[in-house]
Amino acid sequence: MGEKKDYVRGFWAEGTPFIWFSGIAAVVLVLMVVGLVSLILANGMSQFWPASVAKVSLKNGSYLLGSVSDREKTSERDRILLRIANRDVNGLDFKWVESSAITKVEYPESVSVLERDEYGPMYGFINSLAEGESSVASSSPEFQNVLREKLRTVREKTASAKKLQATIDSEKKEVTAVEVRLRRLDEGEKANDPETLLEKAGLEKRRGVLLENLGTKLADEEKELERLKAEVEAPRLDVTLSDGSVAKVKLRKVLAVFNPNAMWFGAKFVHYMGNMASFITDWPRESNTEGGVYPAIFGTVMMVFIMVLICTPLGVLAALYMHEYARQGFLLSAIRLAVNNLAGVPSIVYGIFGLGFFVYMLGGGIDRLFFADKLPEPTYGTGGILWASLTLALLTVPVVVVSTMEGLSAVPRANRDGALALGSSKFQMIWNVVLPNAAPGILTGVILAVSRAAGEVAPLMITGVVKLVSAVPVDAVWPYVHMDRKFMHLGFHIYDVGFQSPNVEAAKPMVYTTAALLLLIVVALNALAILLRNKLRKKYMGSAL
Amino acid sequence: MSRMEQAIDELEGTAVIARNVNFYYGIVQALFGVSLEIKPKQITAFIGPSGCGKSTLLRCFNRMNEVLLGTRLEGDILVHGTDVYREGTRLETLRKRVGMVFQKSNPFPMTIYDNIAFGPRMRGIKDKSTLGEVVERSLKQADLWHEVKDRLNNHAQGLSGGQQQRLCIARTLANEPEIILMDEPASALDPISTSKIEETIQELRNLYTIVIVTHNLQQAARCSDHTAFFYMGRLVEMGATSRIFQNPAQKRTEDYISGKFG
Repeated sequence: MGEKKDYVRGFWAEGTPFIWFSGIAAVVLVLMVVGLVSLILANGMSQFWPASVAKVSLKNGSYLLGSVSDREKTSERDRILLRIANRDVNGLDFKWVESSAITKVEYPESVSVLERDEYGPMYGFINSLAEGESSVASSSPEFQNVLREKLRTVREKTASAKKLQATIDSEKKEVTAVEVRLRRLDEGEKANDPETLLEKAGLEKRRGVLLENLGTKLADEEKELERLKAEVEAPRLDVTLSDGSVAKVKLRKVLAVFNPNAMWFGAKFVHYMGNMASFITDWPRESNTEGGVYPAIFGTVMMVFIMVLICTPLGVLAALYMHEYARQGFLLSAIRLAVNNLAGVPSIVYGIFGLGFFVYMLGGGIDRLFFADKLPEPTYGTGGILWASLTLALLTVPVVVVSTMEGLSAVPRANRDGALALGSSKFQMIWNVVLPNAAPGILTGVILAVSRAAGEVAPLMITGVVKLVSAVPVDAVWPYVHMDRKFMHLGFHIYDVGFQSPNVEAAKPMVYTTAALLLLIVVALNALAILLRNKLRKKYMGSAL
Repeated sequence: MSRMEQAIDELEGTAVIARNVNFYYGIVQALFGVSLEIKPKQITAFIGPSGCGKSTLLRCFNRMNEVLLGTRLEGDILVHGTDVYREGTRLETLRKRVGMVFQKSNPFPMTIYDNIAFGPRMRGIKDKSTLGEVVERSLKQADLWHEVKDRLNNHAQGLSGGQQQRLCIARTLANEPEIILMDEPASALDPISTSKIEETIQELRNLYTIVIVTHNLQQAARCSDHTAFFYMGRLVEMGATSRIFQNPAQKRTEDYISGKFG
């Protein structure tokens, strides 16, 4: 009896249940994180794996080509979801097939997958590579080499045509300006006024002179461009599709050709890595459901950097004043409480504030002052990366303030007194002793701010994020950094691809992939800050932090 | 020499003069009408039980009490004839003249070199060779040079407790102060480090005016020329150390140094 009673008392006194509960809580947390990450990775990473394409023969004698993407098996029905691709022909990428209707499933090695810049991939049997009258049959031994070579030359020629076009455009710039003016005059209300006619005559003369100066050079270049374009357009692949029709696919539109069923694991892996790389470096295609997310990565990272550059000094200075200089009292406590609570304001509210204050007031003001000639076309008076970053900086500044203040209070009193006793002024003490000591704490705040900002979408949607951009905010055009430009963002990309895309089923893996990438970027940015923090900690080793 | 000039000379010749000092932490009075004089280039020890006001008085000399909010001082404190509580006194200048070593060693989280060069740098000295000389001289005076001369760029917090405290002394010496206040400088150290510190203090005797607060009566007896005994915020007795310890005038002093309370 006595022993048992002692055991119970010991059990409770030593807190065994408490230890168990705390352990369970930690395990639940770890499982949540692991579960979420593996869900994202498992779904996202399969996106790039070259799936085998099945030839599914049906009872009615026809057959389908497609990769199995899902299976629904219940007591009532058994059906599989085939990705049949060929959106331009079939209209839909996916098709449910009842198992009872299937007679045979094979994986013929001759099935090819054509990755195209439009309409997603194409599944079919390649007959030949044709150009004009000549053609190489897919059965011929040198077909693969010819195809590879041809793909390469087409790509090169497309690039040189683009370059040539740019040259011609710049040469014709002046002529174009004259022509635009002429068109304006023609379309204007005073098209028949004597003055207008006079100006028109002058302009036409000017155009003649300009064209003459450019002379034969331009004509030659234009001829060359025509030739290149024709050469690029000519080669095509003749592909037999599952419905028996033969599609003629221009090689210009083909990004890659491969036979997944004939590939062994290593080849598939190489293909997989290539896909992954192009996901990171390519621009999106097909309303974001295909291609890469390069501009979104760029936008996200750039926005986070601008935000950090704004919110760190702002937050640190505000915290310094409140902690070191302001008189401690009711007012300061109220302000601190308010700053803490700012972190709880819904982010969309910040977005609306950003739209009203930054975009319309500040941006509109800048436009009226500096870009009046472009109005009513706004320059800064519309969403852009600068405004979005500023909005996010406002959103994250409380985090920086709070952790900086914590960092400041953790600086040992003895160090402050020591500095003062040596005859340093308060500012010298703060600058030379307190701030270096508090730096790791400040960086902790920056880490939290980065995590919060990188995942924020709502306020961005109304302050500058768009579905697709034609250029990232940094390029070779003066002034090189275009803070007024709209940008793409991975978080918004997830929303856009997942919910706004016309082709939800095809876009689903893309959503996971983008989420995984966003996660990775947040981790990378944080790792950067943590590295910096550890370096500082080492430098100020032994301090309270 | 007129009597006026004589008086001024006397005033300036005395390192610290406290006249009728009352000190308050908020509404709590910590010092009650303390008046004393500290002789230059000699060592004065403040003794007394905890909370008797000896550290408070020490911190009045370089106005370090003011880092706390709500403190107030009545009376005058003159350092070499200058009223340090006069309006317009620059704290930076005062604290350069009146250096301080704390109870717990508080080296900054920097290198040994940077710790010593901190004070001179705050006063705008940037010249490398000047700083180097100051660092070497200060470390030698604090008896630390031969221990750290090969690792001046190491982190100061890698030193032992006693070395850290001597580093703090050297850091104060780098400012070339007139007076050095030491607030129980050896109370957190082991006996060997303590005796090292005491040796250092002895070497500084005759070079600087030193005021040392201590709980350790033997230390006061060993080190100091003058001793002041405080009790409950009042100065009970002050005089030559030998007299205080051998022939105290007050009953309380005798009780304290004979260990009847404390």
